Amino acid sequence: MLLSDIITPELFASAVRLATPIALAAVGASICERSGVVNIAMEGLMLIAAFSGTAVALLSGSTWLGVLAAVVASMAFASLHAWASINLRADQVISGTAINILALGTTGYLMETVFGHPGTTDPVRTIRPVFDFPSGGSGALATVWTWVDTVLFSYTPIVYFGMFAAVFLTWALYRTRWGLRLRSLGEHPRAADTVGIDVYRGRWSAVLASGFMAGLAGANLTLEQVGSFTEGMTNGRGFIALAAMIFGRWVPGGGYLAALLFGFADALQLKLQIFSDVIDIPPQFFLMLPYVLTVVVLAGVVGRAVAPAAVGKPYKAKG
Amino acid sequence: MKSKWSRSLALLLALALIASLSVGCAAPQEPAPQEPAEEKPTTDVKAAMVTDVGGLGDKSFNDMSYAGLQRAESELGVQIEVLESKEPTDYESNINQLANAGFNPIFAVGFLMTDTVIKVAPQFPDVNFGGIDIFFENPTPNVLGLLFKEQEAGYLAGVVAGKLTAMPDVDPRINDKKVVGFVGGMEIPPVQKFEAGFIAGVKSVLPDAEVKSVYTGTFTDQQKGIEAGKSLIEGGADIIFAAAGATGNGTAKACKDNKALFIGVDADQYETIEGIGDTIITSAIKRVDNAVFLTVKDAVDGKLKAGENRVFGLAEDGVGLAPYHDWETKMPADVKAAVDKAIADIKAGTVTVPESK
Repeated sequence: MLLSDIITPELFASAVRLATPIALAAVGASICERSGVVNIAMEGLMLIAAFSGTAVALLSGSTWLGVLAAVVASMAFASLHAWASINLRADQVISGTAINILALGTTGYLMETVFGHPGTTDPVRTIRPVFDFPSGGSGALATVWTWVDTVLFSYTPIVYFGMFAAVFLTWALYRTRWGLRLRSLGEHPRAADTVGIDVYRGRWSAVLASGFMAGLAGANLTLEQVGSFTEGMTNGRGFIALAAMIFGRWVPGGGYLAALLFGFADALQLKLQIFSDVIDIPPQFFLMLPYVLTVVVLAGVVGRAVAPAAVGKPYKAKG
Repeated sequence: MKSKWSRSLALLLALALIASLSVGCAAPQEPAPQEPAEEKPTTDVKAAMVTDVGGLGDKSFNDMSYAGLQRAESELGVQIEVLESKEPTDYESNINQLANAGFNPIFAVGFLMTDTVIKVAPQFPDVNFGGIDIFFENPTPNVLGLLFKEQEAGYLAGVVAGKLTAMPDVDPRINDKKVVGFVGGMEIPPVQKFEAGFIAGVKSVLPDAEVKSVYTGTFTDQQKGIEAGKSLIEGGADIIFAAAGATGNGTAKACKDNKALFIGVDADQYETIEGIGDTIITSAIKRVDNAVFLTVKDAVDGKLKAGENRVFGLAEDGVGLAPYHDWETKMPADVKAAVDKAIADIKAGTVTVPESK
């Protein structure tokens, strides 16, 4: 009785929704760091994307134009990071930090100039789920269908794109020439250069790809879920994505699954609190759950996570 | 060549950093001064406030405190200033900055600033500090705690929710389960008092009702508010009261999308949540603006008495229930009568609302 109240289809759907912005960013960051460029700017890129997406959707009336704007703005800021850390060989952590602070300040400032007030924007119409199947009757079959429908078919387009990207990029990283080259850039760029791979170009495209994914993460958060922009609304999700990336050992699919685990812990704690009359545990404990889970899994299950050998090291081409 | 490039980039990034920091700290641009009112009274009192991390634009107690200051500016001719805090580490520097600039009184908005005010106040013995939602256990002579009986506003919201959840005929969104929900931000006294009052209010009209509570641990994360709301709705709640700042706006959206009803907090959220319509029944309001205005007025009149805690309840017009708006016509007379009776009972002292569960 109690268990079936807690373990509901909606619990898993909630986990996926909570995980998606983190998962998209984790997949993007994995690709970026595989090429040898640290990207701690994911938080800032998501925030920029969230603002641009909402602003354009509000001003143009088209939510999809908003998604496009989110991706473009995020990639524009990502190219700042690429230029600084690849061409100028600046410290990648500092460049990333600068973008995070710049994003917080810029979005706060633009809030005032574009909308005339700080805080939260007006609501936009959020993107509808892809599928809309009717719920079927009663009986055991209907229960099974409710599970399948809610857990697999209740999401918006970017959520599905995230799942697809995680699977596809994991395959591509290990099974394609592109993946081999990308990994070589992060492990030994000199060797890659020697055999004729353009290190700068490879790294640029990886950073831009992470900008693309951060853009979708921001768009998912605002245009598919919350429906408005609030200053600082990413609330550290970009940093949790980096933890998920490490947790997933710099493999896109691994990062995605790690983010899912965070999302599940979060959804579970929101669910468990409702039963505090039966399970008498203070809410602070539940709020702590996702973080405890992270520590336990990192310490006990994952073992040593090894970063790409050349990550964070600027590369200077000879000649 | 390359090193010159990187140096200029470093300079550029540093400038960007400074620029964005100053954007973060800057007080919002005052609108162009209106034509000076003819007989505006003048006073040399300069009042200021420091927001908590919710900042201006939270459409909640930061904005309401500011509304109190603005009213003091237009009605009393007081010079006002506001500094926004982006991080908890900004509290102290913002308060120091205002105290050094000669502002008195200075309002610290929010329970989360308690420790900062206790630490900073003794350094400026000539400046009075008003702490919104701050209870001073051993008040120094220059601090004034401005507290609210949130439980009384929560109680009234609870009476409405408890009555309505047992009336499935009134609205299709009300189910036949006697379950209502509460979404809290961080578990701090003002929020706990709203919750305790809400539970007491619900039980006072429907003793066998169940109130399910979820704390999200944040006042700024709408996505968490959405998921908390959905979780409660799945648990059978048809009416949800959220005392969670911007997080609660997410809960309002969850109610709207999933055909449940919502009760707002602090401000009249029918006015502040765009397009909420008849998803919102009412709001448990907290007149922070009144408390700020009255304190500044006392300062202007030279009779500000600090060194104590002042509590604003229903009787002092410090808390209350917002209008029903879209619900005005379909609200059963029985519910309205129960609310009026609760108000009368609380004011008369025949009902004392508990502060904790």
